[in-house]
Amino acid sequence: MLLWRQFLMEWKLYARDRAAMFWTFAFPVLMLLGFGLIFKGGDTPKLSVVWVQPAQAQAKDEALLKALAQFPTRLLPMSPAEAEARWSRGETAVQVEPTAEGFRMKVNSYLVAQGQMTAQVVQQAFLVSQSQLRGQPMPTLIPVSMESPGHAKSANYAAFLLPGLLGMNLMSMGLFAVGMVNVSYREKGKFRRLAVTPLPKWIFLLGQVLHRLTVTLIQTVFLLLIGRFVFGIVNEGSYLLLTLVMVLGTACFMAMGFALSSFAETSETYAAISNLLFFPMMFLSGVYFTLDAAPKWLQQAVIVLPLSPFLKALRAVFNDGDGLAGHAVGLVVVAVWAALCFGLAVKRFRWA
Amino acid sequence: MLEPALRVRGLKKQYPGVLAVAGVDLDVARGEVFGLLGPNGAGKTTTLEIIEGLTEADAGAIEVLGLDWKRHGTEIRSRIGVQLQSTSLFNKITPREALTLYGGYYPKSRTADELLELVQLKDKADAYHITLSGGQMQRLALAMALVNDPELVFLDEPTTGLDPQARRSLWEVVRRIKAEGRTVILTTHYMDEAEALCDRLAIMDHGRVLTTGTPAELIAQLAIPSVVELSFEGAAPAVDGFDARIGAAVEVRGDLWEIPTPDPKSLLPRLLEAAEAAAIPYQQVHVRRATLEDVFLHKTGRSLRD
Repeated sequence: MLLWRQFLMEWKLYARDRAAMFWTFAFPVLMLLGFGLIFKGGDTPKLSVVWVQPAQAQAKDEALLKALAQFPTRLLPMSPAEAEARWSRGETAVQVEPTAEGFRMKVNSYLVAQGQMTAQVVQQAFLVSQSQLRGQPMPTLIPVSMESPGHAKSANYAAFLLPGLLGMNLMSMGLFAVGMVNVSYREKGKFRRLAVTPLPKWIFLLGQVLHRLTVTLIQTVFLLLIGRFVFGIVNEGSYLLLTLVMVLGTACFMAMGFALSSFAETSETYAAISNLLFFPMMFLSGVYFTLDAAPKWLQQAVIVLPLSPFLKALRAVFNDGDGLAGHAVGLVVVAVWAALCFGLAVKRFRWA
Repeated sequence: MLEPALRVRGLKKQYPGVLAVAGVDLDVARGEVFGLLGPNGAGKTTTLEIIEGLTEADAGAIEVLGLDWKRHGTEIRSRIGVQLQSTSLFNKITPREALTLYGGYYPKSRTADELLELVQLKDKADAYHITLSGGQMQRLALAMALVNDPELVFLDEPTTGLDPQARRSLWEVVRRIKAEGRTVILTTHYMDEAEALCDRLAIMDHGRVLTTGTPAELIAQLAIPSVVELSFEGAAPAVDGFDARIGAAVEVRGDLWEIPTPDPKSLLPRLLEAAEAAAIPYQQVHVRRATLEDVFLHKTGRSLRD
């Protein structure tokens, strides 16, 4: 009863702060719109090749261009000066330049993944064009396709991105919004008035967690609707399981924010320690790159961080339409984090 | 017989570099308005916050309504009302909502309407609290301190920063709280407020209680019921042997000479004659009865305002 009233009041006061509310909901939507528009283009992203236009195009040049057009490439013809400028800005992954005898190809070492892939395609196109020029039979090519491992139903990058965005949003809401608000309220003495009442801390904290939980669920619904109606991204799995995973994840990261906020006296300190936690979790979660090359102990340590198992379970449901059977351990990890953090938050919470 | 409202023995609190409370004893009976009077930094607020359960003491024993904080924390909280020195609420809450919300935290509570009536805040009942004036905000804080129908009410500098009219209207509310049979403990650095409101006082300085009693008793202890003041334009000149001429002590304070005396009637003719003879360039003569300010000055050698 008390908890319900606390929860309602949190919502009422939150709803009055229109600007804050607007941005809370607008930010993840804008992120999705931005990424979605960039990566919307079809199943396979196009590979860009800078083509340095020769003074006089020869037959071999024409043949290569023709062959390249059959591959999923985007050709960017430009003058040697323009090509040079673009190359030195670091924007070019692969540049092909016709010479008197043949061709010269440069691959950007900073864009190694995209560069290698493109270079492969250019090599194959080159073989095709050589055969055509000499009137030989077509060489047998190894078909190359780009796919997302384990997510056969959604090769589209935006579809792969959406669950990641949901997870990221949860973590940043928990660590930045929730924790920061708590620290600044304590700093401004807004909790002191509560400290002299008999209100139990856990009711106050749980009321806040429940409020943020509903805010996040509404955000999620927005993102899913936009994904569905703007980008045609569909949840492949059960909505019940999706809700379950989202609720668990939200509880975990909110509790983490609360727990963390008890370690900082000022907003400045909090900003520092929350970043200290946020970035390692983000990079070590296996979302951005695999940790094959990392030391064994680090790989094992990372398994117990909650973001990675949470995202895996979320993607299994959302992208693959699977159940949660294979994710029991991962979800237990998330649940344990949630319980430990909430316990720690209640124990360490200070009104002033 | 009810337990006393408050009993404090040997209270101490050390902050880095400063002993904020240096061994305080207090006894407050039921139904009285008790004041902690002292300059800023005397340790009044720290003492109050320890008693309210906001700050932990380093040493000392506290009984609030006969109860002990360690064993009966929740019960104490539900039977006391607290107005903090500054009350910071969530931005967009209205007085009516705040009173209803906070009332909900207690086993028994008074209605928002009743409390708003008591502190004369009915016309602002549904305005966001950030739009209230300083005086209105203090009255809301006072209403919040009364929301649980408390037996003991703590008010920390309830009128600091208010204009004279707002102060008077707040005093009126404090008197009504007392008339309802509650015990009030307040801190203030205004001696007129202490005299106007308090049944009994403890004068504090440097974390200690210097003296305790009713305002009348404290003034009577001085044995100098009156003070003659000579005012000067600008800073008062040095006494320079003038005290010997009139046979009374002269204290220089700002633009005043203050001459405490048990008998102003016999002092005045001597004083004026001597001042004339020594060509003292005073502007005005003023006779007043001694106040708590004089008690504080006598005990510490400093003014409350210093």
